[in-house]
This record gives sequence, structure tokens and C-alpha cells, in this order.
Amino acid sequence: MLKEAASTVRPADMEPLSTRLRASGKLDRAAKRSFRVIHVAFYYLVILSLTFVFLYPLLYMVSKSMMQMQDVADATVQWIPKKLSFHNYSLAWNALNFWGGFANSAIISFGSAVLQILSCSLVGYGFARYRFPGYMMCFVLLLFTFLVPPQTIVVPLYLFFSDLGWINTHLPFVIPSLFGHGLKGALFVLIFVQFYRRMPNVLEEAARIDGAGPFRTYWRIMFPLAKPAMLIVFLFSVVWHWNDSFEPNTYLTTPDFYNLSQRLAMFYGTNNQAAETMSQMTSGSIGMAPTGLNQIMAGCILTILPILILYLFVQRHFVESVERSGIAGE
Amino acid sequence: MKKLKLSMRARYFMEGYSFISLWLIGFLMFMAIPLGRSMYYSFHALKVSKDGLIATFVGMDHFRAAFTTDVNFLPLLKETMVSTLTQVPLILIFSLFCAILLNRGMIGKTFFRGVFFLPVIIASGAILSKLMDQGAANLPIFYNQNLYNKLSAFIPGDILETLLKSAESLTLVMWDSGVQILIFLAGLQTISISLYEAAKCDGATAWESFWKITFPMIMPMMLVNTLFSIVSSFTKADNQIMSHILNVVFKNNDFGYGSAMGWIYFVFIFLILGVVFLLFRKSLSATEGRK
Repeated sequence: MLKEAASTVRPADMEPLSTRLRASGKLDRAAKRSFRVIHVAFYYLVILSLTFVFLYPLLYMVSKSMMQMQDVADATVQWIPKKLSFHNYSLAWNALNFWGGFANSAIISFGSAVLQILSCSLVGYGFARYRFPGYMMCFVLLLFTFLVPPQTIVVPLYLFFSDLGWINTHLPFVIPSLFGHGLKGALFVLIFVQFYRRMPNVLEEAARIDGAGPFRTYWRIMFPLAKPAMLIVFLFSVVWHWNDSFEPNTYLTTPDFYNLSQRLAMFYGTNNQAAETMSQMTSGSIGMAPTGLNQIMAGCILTILPILILYLFVQRHFVESVERSGIAGE
Repeated sequence: MKKLKLSMRARYFMEGYSFISLWLIGFLMFMAIPLGRSMYYSFHALKVSKDGLIATFVGMDHFRAAFTTDVNFLPLLKETMVSTLTQVPLILIFSLFCAILLNRGMIGKTFFRGVFFLPVIIASGAILSKLMDQGAANLPIFYNQNLYNKLSAFIPGDILETLLKSAESLTLVMWDSGVQILIFLAGLQTISISLYEAAKCDGATAWESFWKITFPMIMPMMLVNTLFSIVSSFTKADNQIMSHILNVVFKNNDFGYGSAMGWIYFVFIFLILGVVFLLFRKSLSATEGRK
């Protein structure tokens, strides 16, 4: 008797809840559908809240940059300013000396990005398709280059560039890029290596049989096919050069040659005429928010606006490219 | 033009070398020689004079100074290490979570993906430091709801404080994980659906198939991401050690001491990376076997 009872109880206990419910007929179609609706709703709730957190800094910057001083100090104003004003932008535009900084940033980032695409792709192709004596050592050196922090070699590089008279020019950024180095150059070489390794070599063989030399094969056949990898390298290179502050702070030392992010860092820092007069104006009143918060945020927006626009254009292709280029490695 | 007489094999080698020669020249100019010179500087005291730099040999003095007389270096080093070691695991977990969320069909897929990679653009350099100055880097939820007082009845104060602190730094973690999400997402795409279908037929739950299929398959990307996170967090713009070294070098003109600190920092990073490699070796060889 006991044995029998045990055997009837046990299977029911061990089976998952849903099976038991279904067996007892409680989980009919409608209930199943409502389970799924809850599941999907929960999923969208999670992803929407994460989206908000990701957008939070951007929204914060936009909202604060539109406010006037009274609104920033006013505790009742949370997100939407009482009076819309673009005054901050014109102030920030002048304080940043926008065109000067923009020109510097653009030459550094776009110049380096284009050169890095050309050089890193060539080198990456060599690493992906050829095995030669010393290959392993070169590859380890490539990984090693990626891991060396820039501050370890900053002193000799600075002295090297200053001996050449390259301080306060764009050359310290552009010339290393030409040789497949520069900011995160090793990473870009690795991206191209991964990409070319995944390509079938039938096309190259066909080109070689038709009499094309190795460089012609590379330049006419393989390089044009590497568009997904190129897009990734281009975007990363532009963005990282644009936002980098370590190298510009080292090699661009006079305010006239500062790029945008350096000018932003100086904005409301020391030795800035506009900042000083502004802080004198505001320091008198009590309960003021941090000095010039709205203008700083307007400056931030102006600084990232160019790459934000670039990102809006390439974003769709960018995500596809990541999936196709094998950036993640094998 | 007369062609060089080379065997097929030698010509193949020459082609390979010529492809990477550009990089090799660059390596010599911008990596090997600077590394050697900075090693040399770290053992010397450098003085700037009319005839250029004058180096006098001081042996290990700079290294000794970094650990004994410099009051800033060791605390900064410790701070950087601790923040890296706590943030990197959080970044990995969070970015894997996001990648899995994004890896399924949904309405507005492109929009969500675009938003999740946005931090790559915003959260670096000068913008981030400006935002942190203004306190915008912390989500206001944890202050507004008076969470500390509410929870202190249940959880001891010390633990609660560290918990809340890590919750606050969560925003920083999120902003740092743009590239990592990207890499994980690309990795998830390479896992074949038939594996999941087979597991489902055998009665595996979603939880089980995550641990038995997704997790082992994603292990190589885990290594890539760990390395990337560690390296990028050590070279971040708001890194205290970096600004300390820059200060020493360009404000005090102490090139020798700056180089020595750079080397100590480098060795520390290398040790951490070595430990990571050891930890991953086992699981990586397991994935290799599976292929």
C-alpha cells in the first residue's frame, strides 16, 4: 500500500509545474497566451529601462544645455526648461572657438582613420595569408603592441617628435597611423587579420592564375571586399581619436593648436577669459547651481555633435558589419 | 627589368615580409626604440641642457623612489588596480546580459542596437570627465528614494554602503561596455541555431542551454573582452596614474622618474593579464577540443 502511494506521488512531484498544470487541464490556450504576453512585456520593460539609462547622459546634456540660469537653479524644473533658449550654444561656440578646434580634431581623426585603414589592412592581409620564418614572433609582437600602455613610452616618443619639430603639428598622430600604429593600431590590424582569414582564397587563386601579382591581387580583389572591416575600423578610429585626450595633451601644447576635446576640458578651467567673467557674474547669487552648467553641457553637445551625426549615418551598416566581419575572433 | 632568381618558397616568404614590412618599420620606430629608450631613461637622471639631454646613471633609484618616497604613486596604483578588478567582471556580466537581450528578434531592433553602442561615442575622454564633475554620472535613483535609510534596517551598514556604491558605479560600468556588447553580440551570432534546437528536443530548459551551449561557445569572446576591458580601463582618460605620470614628466620635467613609473605600471598590467590568461587557459582548451 505504502509503496503504491509513494509511486503515485513521486512522478508528479518531479515534473515541472507547467506539465502538472497541463495534465490537470488548468493550462489551456488562453493561459498560455497570457504567459507569453507577460514574458514579452517584461522583456520590453527591461530593454526600455536599459535604453533610458544609456540615453540618460545625452538627454541630460540636451536638457541642461537648453536651460537658462534661473532654470538650472530652480528645483521645480527637472527636465523641460521653462523658456527654451539656444543662447548657451552661441556662448559655448565662441568660447570653444569651434571652427579652430573642429578643424584640428577633424584632421587628426579623419586623417588617421583613413591612413589606418590603408596600412592596417595591408599588414593584416600579410598576417592572414602568409606564413614565413619568424611569423609567430611577429604576431606575438603585434599582440604585445596592443598591451603596452601609451604612458610607458610617452617620454621617448615625445622627445623623438620634439627633436623632429613635430610638436604642435598633426604629424605625431598621422605618421604612426601611416605605419599601422597610432592609437589602438594593433587592434585594427587584428580586426583585418580576422576578416581576411575568414575569406575563401579561391578569388585570389583565380587572380594569380590570370597573372596578377601579389599586390595587385590584394589591391584589386581583397581590399575592396573588406568593406565591413573597413567601416568598423573607420568608425572606431575616428571616435577614439576624436575623444582621446592623452595624446593631444602630450603633443598639442599651445592653446592655439588644441583640438575640440582639449578646448572643452579647458572650458571653465583656468586661464579662460570667458569663464572668469562668467563665474564673477554668477558667484554673487546664492543657491546657484555649479557655475555655467548649462554652458558646459552646450559645449559637450557641440563637441560630440560631429561624430554623433557620423554615427547616425553609418549606424545601420555598422551593426551589420560587426556581424559579418568576425571582429569577435574564432 | 631582370627578375631575381628565387625559388617559389623564397618568393612566397618575400611577399609575406613585404606585406608586413610597413608594420615592422613602424614597430621599430614607434614601439621598440621608444621602449628601449624609456628603459634606459628609467635608470638615469635626465637634465635638459643646451646640448640636449644629459643622462647620469642612478641605478634603481627611481624605482626605489616610486615605492618609498613618492606619496602619491602607491595609493594611486592601488586605487587603479582595485577599480579595474571590480569593474571588469561587472562589465563582462552586464555586456553579456545586454548582448543576449539584443540577440533576439524584436520591434525596433536597429534602434535599440544603435542606442546600446552609443556609449562608445559619448562616454570617453573630456565629455565623461565633464559629466562626472557635474554629478551626472550617477543615476539619481539611489539618492532620491532614500534607499540607505530604508534598507539599513535589514542590512548591516558597511555591506549596504559598498552595495550602494557599486550600484552607483553601475552607470559607469554601462558606459564602458559598448565595445564589449558589440563583441559578444557578434559572438552570439556565430552560434548555430541547430545546437539550441537539438538541446530543446532533448528537453533542456533555456537556463540549461545557456550554461551548456551559449556559455562555453562564447568563451573565446570572453577572453577577448576581458583583455580589452583591462587594457582600456588602464588607459582610460580619467585614470589617475596617467595624469600623475604626465604631471611628473611635463610639469616637473623629470623624464627619468616618469619612465620608471611607466615601467612599474606596465609590469603590473602584465602580471594581471598573465593571471587572466592562466584562468582562461583551461576553458579555452576545452572549447578547442569541442570544435
